[in-house]
Amino acid sequence: MPQDRLVNNTLPLSEIRHRLAAADGPTYWRSLQELSCTDEFRQSIADEFPALGERFNDSTSRREVLKIMAASLALLGITGCFYKHPQEKIVPYVKTPDQTIPGLPLYFATAMPMNGYGIGVLALSREGRPLKIEGNPDHPASLGAANAFMQASILDLYDPDRSRTVQRSGRTATWSNLLGILNPRLQTKLTNGSGLRLLTGTITSPTLLSQIQQFLQRYPGSQCHQYDPLHTPDGELPKNIFTTPLDTLHDFTKADVILTIGSDFLTTHPASLRYARQFIDGRRVRQDHLKMNRLYVIESAMTLTGSMADHRLAIAPSDFQLHTARLGHMLGIGGDVVPESRSVPSLSVQKQHWLDTVAADLTSAATSLIIAGADQPPSVHAMVHRINQRLNNIGRSVYHIDSVAPSAQHSLKDLVTDMQDGNVDTLLILGGNPAYDAPIDIPFASMLQNLSTQRRGRDYQNLTIHLGTHANETAWNCQWHIPQSHYLESWGDIRAHDGTASIIQPLIAPLFASKSEWELMETLLDHPDRDGIESIRNHWAKSVTSDFETWWLQTLQRGTIDGTSAPLRKDLTLRPDLPGFSFSDETPHPENAEIIFAPDPTAWTGEYANNAWLQELPKPFTKLTWDNAIAINVRMAENLGGSARPLVDGHIVRVDYQGRSLEAPVVILPGQADGVIAMTLGYGRTHGGTVLTDDGAPRGYNAYQLRTSARPWVDVGARVTFTGRIVPLAITRNHHAMDTAPGMNSIEQSLKPQNIAQPGISEENLELHNRKIVRTATLEQFQQNQNVIQNLDIASRKPLLSLYQPWNYDHGLQWGMSIDQTACIGCNACIVACQAENNIPVVGKEQVMRQREMHWIRIDNYFSGPVDSPSVYHQPVPCMHCENAPCEYVCPVGATTHSDEGLNEMTYNRCIGTRYCSNNCPYKVRRFNFFLYSDYDSNTRRLQHNPDVSVRSRGVMEKCTYCVQRIDNTRIEMEKQVLDLREQARLALEPADQKRLLLAADERGRQIIAGLQTACQQSCPTQAIVFGDLRDPQSQVARLKREPADYGLLTDLTTKPRTTYLARFTNPHPDLAPGTLA
Amino acid sequence: MIDADLKPPPVLHPGQSLESVTNQITGLVMPRPIQRTWIIGFGIGSVLIMVLGYSVCWLISQGVGVWGINMPVAWGFAIVNFVWWIGIGHAGTFISAMLLLMRQDWRTSINRFAEAMTLFAVACAGMFPLLHLGRPWVFYWLIPYPNTMKLWPQFRSPLVWDVFAVGTYLTVSLIFWYVGLIPDFATMRDRAKTKPAWLIYGCLSLGWRGASRHWKRYQTAYLLLAGLAAPLVISVHSVVGMDFAAALVPGWHSTIFPPYFVAGAILSGFAMVLTLAIPLRAIYKLQNLVTLRHIDNCAKLMLITALIVSYGYGMELLAGWYSGNPFDSFVSQNRMFGPYAWSWWTIMTCNVMVPQFLWFRSIRRSVPTMFFICILIQIGMWTERFVIVITSLHREFMPSGWGAYEPTRFDWSTLLGTMGFFLAGFFLFIRFIPMISMSEVRELVHTSNGGRHEPTDFEPKYVD
Repeated sequence: MPQDRLVNNTLPLSEIRHRLAAADGPTYWRSLQELSCTDEFRQSIADEFPALGERFNDSTSRREVLKIMAASLALLGITGCFYKHPQEKIVPYVKTPDQTIPGLPLYFATAMPMNGYGIGVLALSREGRPLKIEGNPDHPASLGAANAFMQASILDLYDPDRSRTVQRSGRTATWSNLLGILNPRLQTKLTNGSGLRLLTGTITSPTLLSQIQQFLQRYPGSQCHQYDPLHTPDGELPKNIFTTPLDTLHDFTKADVILTIGSDFLTTHPASLRYARQFIDGRRVRQDHLKMNRLYVIESAMTLTGSMADHRLAIAPSDFQLHTARLGHMLGIGGDVVPESRSVPSLSVQKQHWLDTVAADLTSAATSLIIAGADQPPSVHAMVHRINQRLNNIGRSVYHIDSVAPSAQHSLKDLVTDMQDGNVDTLLILGGNPAYDAPIDIPFASMLQNLSTQRRGRDYQNLTIHLGTHANETAWNCQWHIPQSHYLESWGDIRAHDGTASIIQPLIAPLFASKSEWELMETLLDHPDRDGIESIRNHWAKSVTSDFETWWLQTLQRGTIDGTSAPLRKDLTLRPDLPGFSFSDETPHPENAEIIFAPDPTAWTGEYANNAWLQELPKPFTKLTWDNAIAINVRMAENLGGSARPLVDGHIVRVDYQGRSLEAPVVILPGQADGVIAMTLGYGRTHGGTVLTDDGAPRGYNAYQLRTSARPWVDVGARVTFTGRIVPLAITRNHHAMDTAPGMNSIEQSLKPQNIAQPGISEENLELHNRKIVRTATLEQFQQNQNVIQNLDIASRKPLLSLYQPWNYDHGLQWGMSIDQTACIGCNACIVACQAENNIPVVGKEQVMRQREMHWIRIDNYFSGPVDSPSVYHQPVPCMHCENAPCEYVCPVGATTHSDEGLNEMTYNRCIGTRYCSNNCPYKVRRFNFFLYSDYDSNTRRLQHNPDVSVRSRGVMEKCTYCVQRIDNTRIEMEKQVLDLREQARLALEPADQKRLLLAADERGRQIIAGLQTACQQSCPTQAIVFGDLRDPQSQVARLKREPADYGLLTDLTTKPRTTYLARFTNPHPDLAPGTLA
Repeated sequence: MIDADLKPPPVLHPGQSLESVTNQITGLVMPRPIQRTWIIGFGIGSVLIMVLGYSVCWLISQGVGVWGINMPVAWGFAIVNFVWWIGIGHAGTFISAMLLLMRQDWRTSINRFAEAMTLFAVACAGMFPLLHLGRPWVFYWLIPYPNTMKLWPQFRSPLVWDVFAVGTYLTVSLIFWYVGLIPDFATMRDRAKTKPAWLIYGCLSLGWRGASRHWKRYQTAYLLLAGLAAPLVISVHSVVGMDFAAALVPGWHSTIFPPYFVAGAILSGFAMVLTLAIPLRAIYKLQNLVTLRHIDNCAKLMLITALIVSYGYGMELLAGWYSGNPFDSFVSQNRMFGPYAWSWWTIMTCNVMVPQFLWFRSIRRSVPTMFFICILIQIGMWTERFVIVITSLHREFMPSGWGAYEPTRFDWSTLLGTMGFFLAGFFLFIRFIPMISMSEVRELVHTSNGGRHEPTDFEPKYVD
């Protein structure tokens, strides 16, 4: 170790003393340097192995180096610097923090920022380690649910690729090094701040906004620029159709008929979790509740919202204005908006009929709601607003608030113009990755590099600083890079879509020497040592009138700040200068395809690209992992490859658009509008981690390379040609799951099984050919005959014979699960929740291609109907926990057995890996560790493992356990409390008291069991998964299993599954054919 | 009143004497002629053993993921090869035990090396269930042994029955083979020229002096062992068949499996016997002992078992159609027209069509043609196991769980490696052990030369 360096640096002895005093128990340390854990100490370690730095650039040996580094860091004791409680007092959600009981989890309410908006979470902490994210039921944007990104954010915290130290030009530096450069520069800006620029993403944080205000005042002439890859050009932002910027919010519980015009409100909206819950709450059909809303969807690509539609109209993006105008016309709006004089292109008969029916349905419905996608032009939004007004929806299902995220005063484009003109000399980038995700016509990356490398003599002329969690593309183009704290290790505040503010409280002290954006702003405001908590408290202390400490505690406990939701606005005036409709009557085709850009369902805009859970998460419909692809429909696949040899998944096409071109593989997605290519953002990244590249090469293609600032969402005029090449894609679904699949020859076609059973299929056909895996009926059919679902399974009406006496499950707790297919929107949250809860490893692209993915729950898609206009069904499939489990009797060593509570259990220690159980599982839900998939190496990721769940080694089988660790914890808690009450009853003198206490004991036990949730159930936005005790007739799961729409998969095999399904109900309009109209 | 033309040709060529037989057979071992064919054959075997060693080491160090198995096809080449090798191992004991009990005197010329073939085939087969385990180092949990945790195997699982069936079969086959060897080891001891050979063969012959009492007890024991071994021929492959039949996988779950597996096993076993016998008799000039009569008889047995196997294929199709079960009928269609259709048509060709040629006496007695047919049947029988294991698993009940199977190079190298193990073992056998039973052939010579008793079909031959 370079001692001289350490000796030369003064150790913060007073701080060390303070830390030792503050520690709860005995603290062991080897040297003062270690204890101080200063930047210098960290740097000395980095300097200790200079050779590692070089080898790190070699992609082949990187993995090895990571292992060495993990080992050497552990040896040096830097792990001791990892994970400890934040020094400040943090407040758990419900339980008091005074005495943490080892082994018992604590929940802390905080909020996860996503594109600037906050979603409330309850983060679970075990012995100081945040382990699991759940939704905060008290938060308006979560309602207790958590999406896949929230679930996966825990892995980001422990990502070994995170930046660990301040870096200067890619070399390790220290915070004080940076301050030595930054502070003199800021001093010069106090009088004239022009040239000083701040670049941020979307900001809703009240504290951060006020800090930025102070910054702009402190350095007169400085500017703050905003860029967010999800932003629509400012002039076209939906909120700007009004005279003052207003956000439009929706209440789906108040709508019988819903029409979305290009809005994927179930997944991409900041309030999607809330909207999904509300939307599905209006669709839960039960035997005593025969009512559901009706959803019409007009969209181009296939989205999860579209898959839930009762009627879906797939049109090209350029047709949206025409269809919206038509619809407005039919509802009696027009006049100034659609001038009669203009020749409006006519629609096909079917489409006209579709719109007529929708218009009539909207008019006749008691309540309705029309929502337009954020990427739609102002003309569409204005028309949608008018229609909502006409239908009297404003104030009922649609309401408006002042825009939560203030509009940026300066854009990225302005910044680049100024950079080109030489007006910028100091640039601070607060998070984000604009060098990667900026529109291609704004040369930000090259300008940034230019700015960073300009020299005056020996010194750099300009100063560029990037704050980010990873050394990403932007960091590589900046001089300085500061590690950014994860939201679970920093203090902050943030607003939700409706304005509700939350305090972000950390669960853990920063793992590395990182700064939050709030702390960095304090540094710029000349408070370099001010902690994040101080800024936040200072900000809120100004506005709190009651006792601040009480307010602070309550706020932290609840997770939301009272009275911060934005007030409703009634004065809605459309801007008079809104652009009108423009129609095109060109038919799209490969020579003139329409191009759609959308955030990727797993990598999002690129910020989650280094998250292995999300990379391995099968994308909805395509089930593609570790890559992105261009989605095209079957007709385009035939046009491009010839109808004899249509393109198949993985064929590479070339897209020429506005003088730029890009090559990328395609996936064939039935149901997408014709002549449309759907590209997703977030891939093709080059810097910032080992997961986002594939041995150094970017994963997927970078759609930003075609995306322009003028048309960031949709455009016409793309030319698609087939290159003749093919690339293997890691797709977890088999094409044959589709009832109709393209690219199959006639023999293969005849081999496709029928999986969807619905009324109208002849009995013989049902019996002989249909696997009856998805059962569906319309609401009308169910209203007429509640047995309509049961009638689909003739075999199940016969008694199932068995040679053996049935096992008696008539005692104790009996676990079961019910999955409502009407409610499942296919959002994948359950998969990642399960992965986080149960220490499920990722296996990598190559292993996924070998069909060895490990997810314990999967979401199957079944398509039915014509290949151009299919209906889609989502079916989550966990272990069925069969009472007669076929896996159990074939295991030669008894490693999988049945518990008396009805659980099909896996004893990993006993498993020798014959895999016979998996062969004999008709549902194919068992997963095998073909290699050592679990990560035992990286010392940070290890911290994430749930201590209640075994980390499986190589050669053993695993599968869904119904979260047995949660069951056990709950049962223990229940028994403790029930025993306590029983003991009180025993000691009670009065018989009446005894009786009362005994009843109370039973009731208490029932309540505790009713509160038990599996991980998938807890995160499900739509509460499609219900788990509980089947023997308690009052339990939710028992009630659902009594529903006439309840059915089990493959029950004629006498498996008696404990997981059963509720049939998918749809509510089609009687005058329209169900499914998609393309 | 048997027509002279219909009388079967003699088992042995005329002109054999007791001494000539002994000289010829011991001569293959004792003077140890350096033979290039032997060195090449043993060399190939040894190289392939190294391939096996490498494959197994890599497998154990990395995990079974080095093979092409996946979800849903969790069983792959390992199980295919296991069933195939076990099947090959059937002919030896069938020839020795069944034919002995049925007084088929022609068996004496081929039973010794058929039994050796059985032992090596079963050893090859036995490797696969162990290697295919996810954690092979705890294979002994399959065996019921007393342990402190009082854990026993799960006796409802056919895999446990497999352990017993294969274990018993290997043990009894080994004992039977060794007991048959005792008089020959004594002959070798008596002709040994060197002290080590004298010592080794002396120990192996267990003090055999050829006394009448020895012969009497020996023959009783041999008969008893034959009685013990004969049902094992049926049981071992029936149990292997039950590995599949006891599961509910469409394409496996079928009551026809045990008999159909046994027939298939005997078919492949006899094919292997001929595959070995034909080159051996050419190389070692054994045409006088292993005659066309042997080849002819084996061919007839192959024809019969091929017909049983074909019946099995037919029944599977019929059951798939007649049951009205959508999953079963799908399996039949998928086998015929799905992605692995080539394999189904291969077995139809090799196991159903090709054996029909065996109706013709001229083909049965054409040595090169028989060799070719035997190779085709071996391929067909291997492919049959591939069809059963792979095509049943890759598309089962839930279409979302469907997949494909593609063997990796480690799948192939392990299969090749066991072939090398078999080859090398067999070459060591013919080098050190008389490959034809001298005592029994001498007895055959004795009876066919008009000794004390005329051979009749009704008189027991071994009871003196």
